[in-house]
This record gives sequence, C-alpha cells and structure tokens, in this order.
Amino acid sequence: MAWRYSRWSADHPLPLGASERAAKGQEVHAGDVLAAGTTYGTPVKVAGARRLGVAPEDLARVMRVPVGGEVERRTVIARTGRRFARAVSSPIAGRVIHQRADGDVYVAPIVGRWVVRSTLDGQVSRSDDACVTVEGSAWALQGVAAFGPDAVGEIGLGVDAPTDELHPSRIDVRLRDRILICGARATAESITRAHACGVSALVAGAAPAGGLGVVYGEAATASGATTGPEAPTVLCLIGFGSAPLPREVFLPLVAMIGARAAVHTASARLFVFVPENAGDFAQNAPSLALSDDWLSARPMAEHLSQAGMTRFASEIEAEAVTTDGGPVPMANVLAFDAPRTARN
Amino acid sequence: MTTSTELVASVEIAHEARTERVPSGSTGGPVLRVIPGDVVRVAALLGRDPKLAQAMAFGALAGGASLVGLVGTHDGRSFVERAELLRDARPDLVVVLAPHRGDASGLVDLVESLRFGCAHQDPSPHILVSADERVRDRIAAAYPDNALEALPDVRTIAGREALVARLRAVRRRAQGDVVLRDEALEAAGRAMAASAKVDVVLLDVTGGATSLIHARPDGVVLGIHERLGVGAAADRVVARAGLDRVRRWIPRAVEAPALLERVFNRARWPDAVPASVLALSLEMALAREAIAHTLADAERAGVSLEGPWAAPLLVLTGRLAELPRAAQSLLVAIDAFGPNGPALVSRAPGDTLVAAGALAARGRVATMPSAEPIAIFISMWPRRSATVRVSDASGIVEERVARGSFLLVPTTGAVEIVMPGTTVRPNAERLELGVVIDARGRPLALPPRDAERIPTLARWHSALGVLPAEAR
Repeated sequence: MAWRYSRWSADHPLPLGASERAAKGQEVHAGDVLAAGTTYGTPVKVAGARRLGVAPEDLARVMRVPVGGEVERRTVIARTGRRFARAVSSPIAGRVIHQRADGDVYVAPIVGRWVVRSTLDGQVSRSDDACVTVEGSAWALQGVAAFGPDAVGEIGLGVDAPTDELHPSRIDVRLRDRILICGARATAESITRAHACGVSALVAGAAPAGGLGVVYGEAATASGATTGPEAPTVLCLIGFGSAPLPREVFLPLVAMIGARAAVHTASARLFVFVPENAGDFAQNAPSLALSDDWLSARPMAEHLSQAGMTRFASEIEAEAVTTDGGPVPMANVLAFDAPRTARN
Repeated sequence: MTTSTELVASVEIAHEARTERVPSGSTGGPVLRVIPGDVVRVAALLGRDPKLAQAMAFGALAGGASLVGLVGTHDGRSFVERAELLRDARPDLVVVLAPHRGDASGLVDLVESLRFGCAHQDPSPHILVSADERVRDRIAAAYPDNALEALPDVRTIAGREALVARLRAVRRRAQGDVVLRDEALEAAGRAMAASAKVDVVLLDVTGGATSLIHARPDGVVLGIHERLGVGAAADRVVARAGLDRVRRWIPRAVEAPALLERVFNRARWPDAVPASVLALSLEMALAREAIAHTLADAERAGVSLEGPWAAPLLVLTGRLAELPRAAQSLLVAIDAFGPNGPALVSRAPGDTLVAAGALAARGRVATMPSAEPIAIFISMWPRRSATVRVSDASGIVEERVARGSFLLVPTTGAVEIVMPGTTVRPNAERLELGVVIDARGRPLALPPRDAERIPTLARWHSALGVLPAEAR
C-alpha cells in the first residue's frame, strides 16, 4: 500500500545552541517553530569556580547568568561574597554555552541564528537539546530518498500525467510555497528553477542522480542528503533516473491539490494533512521493477506470472517474472512499500 | 540464550534482503544465524602520538566499524567546532586514547566537547578509555553522566583485539545469538590455512561490505572489513573513489550521469540482479574499486599488505564468487588485488564456506568445503621477454612473455609451471580456466581517454573471455 493514514513520528534534530524549544506535550502544526537558537563563533574559556573559590558543583548556585543565557561584555556571570566580593565577568558579548566539570565556563560570540520547524501536525513527544520529536496523524507517502531541508507548503501539480517529466517552463513564481508533484522525473534544471521561484519542494518518481550531485554536492548519496535551509527540497518516491508514478499514487495527489503538506527529509516522507475520510487513497499500488540496466524503474501490471529460472543477457540465471517487455529477475521486482535499505 | 553448536541443524546467512539456509531446504532444528551486523559509528579522541590515529583506523577496519570522526588534542579546532563535529557524527562508540599523562588536560578538553555536543544523544555513546587510572579518573569526572569502560593500549595487539571484540559486540546488539559474517570468514580462513599449511587470503565482496582476510598456518589472522560494496554500499564506493574511477573499468563508453543513476538505483534496490551486460560490468567495476579502497585504507592504517600479496592461495567469496563466469571473478581479483607471487585463485560460490566458518567460529570442528580452483596467477615484470613453460595433461606449452602482455594459457588436468629466475614450480590438480600470466605491471595504468582506454580494457577482457560476445 502506497498511501497510509496513520499516526507518524517525525524527529527534528537540532543544531548546537538551542535557546528555546517547544515543550513536551505541546500541540504544534506543520510549519510552526519547534526550536530556535544561535550558532557560535570561537568560544572563550573563563575561569569560574577556581576564581570564585567555590567547588565546581557549587558554581551553579552562585551564577548570575545560567548556562545558555546571553551576556554583554563585562556582564557578571557569577559572584560570591558581599564585602570582599569575587566575580567572574564575560570577556565578550555572546552566550554562556557550557560549564565544564572543573568549574570553568565557555562564553561564545553569536554569529547567526536558526529555527527548526515542525513537519507534522501533532504533539511534541520529545524535546531536548538534541532533538524535538512530533507525533501526529496524517496521510503519508514513503519515498526512497529525500534531499535538502524539511519543507512545508500546499500540494500543487506540475505535470498532467504520472508518466510526464517536469519541464522548467511549467514553473514560475505563482507556484511559490507549493510542494510540486513532478511525475516521472524532476530534472536538474527544474530543481534549480523551482528553488529560484520559491517552490517549497519537488516530489517526483525519480530525479537524476548526476543533477542531485550538482545541486547538493558530495553530501548527496542514494540515501538522500540533509542540508541547511538554503537548498531546494526534492523527494524521490521510487528511485533515480526516471520512474513513472503508479496511478494509485498519482490520483490521490491530484485529489489533494491545495492541501497542506510537508516533506520530512530524514525519513523521506511526504505528509499531507487532510482528514482520514477525505478519500479512498489507501489502495494497493502495483509492484515496481528495476530495469535490466538499472537505469530506471517502472510500475508493473497488477498480476505477475512467474517465468521460472531464466538466463539473462548477463548470463546470470535467476527466477524471473513475465512482463510485456520480457522477463525480469524476481529480485528486481519490489512492492511499492517494500523496505529499500539492506537489513543488518 | 546461546545455541549449542553441537545441536545446530542449519546455518542461515543474511544477505541484503534475502536469507539463504545451508544446507538448503532444511527447515527443522536449531538455526545459527550469520548477519553482516549493524553499522557502528566510532569517533576517537586522540592524544599527541601520531601513531594513535593509525592504530585507531586499524582497529576500526579490523572490527568492521565506520570511523566517523577523529579529534585530536592538537588539531587546531575550537571547542565548538569539535562539539559540532562529534554531534554531526552521531557516534555509537567513542574511544579516548591517552597513552601519555601529558595528554590528560587536552583530552579532558575533548571530552568536554563531547559532552557539550552529544550529551542528549539518544542512545548516548559508549565511551572506551585507553589511559592509566589517574587520567581515566579525570576523564570520568569530565563526563560524569556516562560510564566509562577501560581499554588496553590499541597500539598493541591485545588492545586492538579488545577493541575489535567490543566493536563486534556492538554490531551484534539486539540481534540475539548470531555470528557476524566477517567473524565467520576469519574462522574459515584460519581453518583453510591450517588445513592447506600455507598462507590463505579470502577476498569477500558483498552488497554492503568488502573483506580481506589473511590467515597463516600458525593461526594468526589479519582481517580488514570495510563498508564498501557492490550493492547497498555502492554509492559509498562512488563517494570514496569518484565516478570516473568506477567508470574507467567499464569496457564501453558510458555517460557519467547515467552511470551514477545506475549506482544509486542499485544502492536502494536490495539484492538487485544485473540482468544486462552493462549492469554486470558496473558491478565488476564497483567490486574493483571496493577492493582497491579497502586495501588503500588498510595501508593508510599502517597494515602491511606484503603478506597477503605473497599468499599462494587466494579464495574469492560473496558476490565476487557468484559472477556468472569464473573469468569475471578472476579478472576483478587480479586487477584490484594483484598478488605478487604465483597464486592459486579459487572461488567459493554460494554460502557453504561462510556457513562452515560460522560453525568454526563457534568452536565446532567444521570441514571447510573445497573451493573451485579457477586459475594459477603469475605476475611478472621481465626486463626482456622471458619464457614460461606450462605443462598439463595435453603436453607442454611455452609462452614468450614481454612487458605489457596479459594472457591465459588454458589447461586440462594436472598443471605445473616453470618460470624463469625461480625454482618455485606452482602446480595444481585441475584448473577451470588455466594459467594467467600478467606482465601489465603495477599499479595498472589505464589510459584516461576513452579512445585508448576502451581498446585496452577490451584486450584484457578478451584475453580471459570475460564478457559475452555482444559486449566486447
């Protein structure tokens, strides 16, 4: 089954330097800010407990600025005593980022700010400095790999048929903030043009691996690439090269045009936020076949018949299934929702 | 609960998406499972000794782990840069190497970076410390929420073995009673070397990993296991080697972007079969680069490969042994591995060798299945043309060998070879292909331009009859 309405969980890893986070149990919508923080420059180590003459474990008691707090230059970070006071002040403006076990502290200048947004409507189930996890219900489509940052927008259609490829000429600024459905292939030109026009994300059966390498650099592997917010977002549903979408996948997308949706890159999922009874979307999708030369993939006929042991052009003998285009090795035929990573 | 090896009725070997059982068709009785193991990400925090990085890399290769971060006390990074590096690496295991007391302060700084970057990582990384007690106490104080485990000096054999044992335990986690594929292969290599009374090299290439195992008759085994393969890890091979280095092995003109699409599709299609000649050529090209980079990583980690290169018996397993023609397995092995001396090259298709190795790894005396001898490989680099005499059941054949030549002398029945300048006379009872004489020199020089590269490759392929006729 390709489309599933279920309760999903989406992890949102945080960079270093979170200063605010959604609380556990908080209700959020896709696109809401889950966490915000700062990026740091080269930090300065400041003598803390030693200078104040307190034990390291007592430092927190005498700190005027907690770890994570912002400071100006010469702000008193910690202080002891009254008449013969001892104080630790910040040598730079920035944030107190870390207290060492020996009682010293690091202060780092702020060189940038970041926010992380939710990709799911639901409830925060985990919230700490490493990750915020949201759990919620949505229609979802599992892809094979996603590239770029998480994206939120409305579903838009970029092709007329599931076998078409997205042409750059179909993309303009009116598609800004849309998650664009691209059919069999999103070319490198359409990816860069869509990004320039403010399109939130492209969802395609396949994308050219070479083009992804150009756009995302060395970070792009067959498992995807998570990048900063400045890159485009691409979700490949079936594979690389060219892969027409099955009707069972494409028609629900047509029915959901205009619906709020999100691409969660780490899990390579498209979430669409429409009610469970919005349509009969949960239909069995046909199996997928990898072409003999591994250059593309395609949906198969609904019922496959076995061809028995077959000798292929490579002289490999393997169990095969019969198709209109000749026998295909059974190992090269997978269900749409079959696991696509090797198990351990 | 541990399965008693005496009771094991069959061995189940996991591949990318399927499992095979040995003996095939058996259904009842206790099963011993062989798995590739979880991917373990290891980061190392290092003192000043430059040999520590090498020793750590060696340990990671021997344990089949991915070394995702090396942070040194004198690497010039700031506290925040180190913390970001460690956070992004998401290590399962962190090894702290502080052999000298003078490293203590620097390593405490690194551990503070680790705590800052990974304190909330779930699950939190295991920390192994190789240091004396006083330094270990200081490090423990710097990361009080995480229990430390002591580790011997990884520059020593005992230390490396302890690290490998720990890494393998993590790779087996939550999998119950299993044997790792690399453990099984090492046990198989040890048994084969003891039985043959000569050095044996096992070369195993699967979808997700490449292993080189050198076993000596005295029981000493060197194992190098890298996450580079021809299937699920095919994209890692391209990321490491570059697309052009993979493409150069394909004996026809192929566009680089289309080749990358094939690699990415294969990486996300578990156990896909190369049904076309081009896909098969790509699999062979990936196997060559996976082996070459495994060897290069081993050399960078300070592993001497003179022993493996001189081993007289080379056994091919995994996907490498399952290529349709024996000549394909042979060509990949000699292109990428290239033994120095005469070597009998055999292949063990299927999973019977791994299954026997798994039983041997559990202490059961298992008879190793015999591998199919495919060729005797002779590497030469003669100053002037030399004569090699091959005698077999059909008589004696003399071949003049000049620099650059690459040829196969087909044989029938028992074979003996007489080479110039040596009294060694390699022999075999029977060979599937014959004697391969390689005077191409090392490293192999492939012309960069397609117009010269493709005829060169085609000549090498046709010398052994590697590809079906339409692909030449």
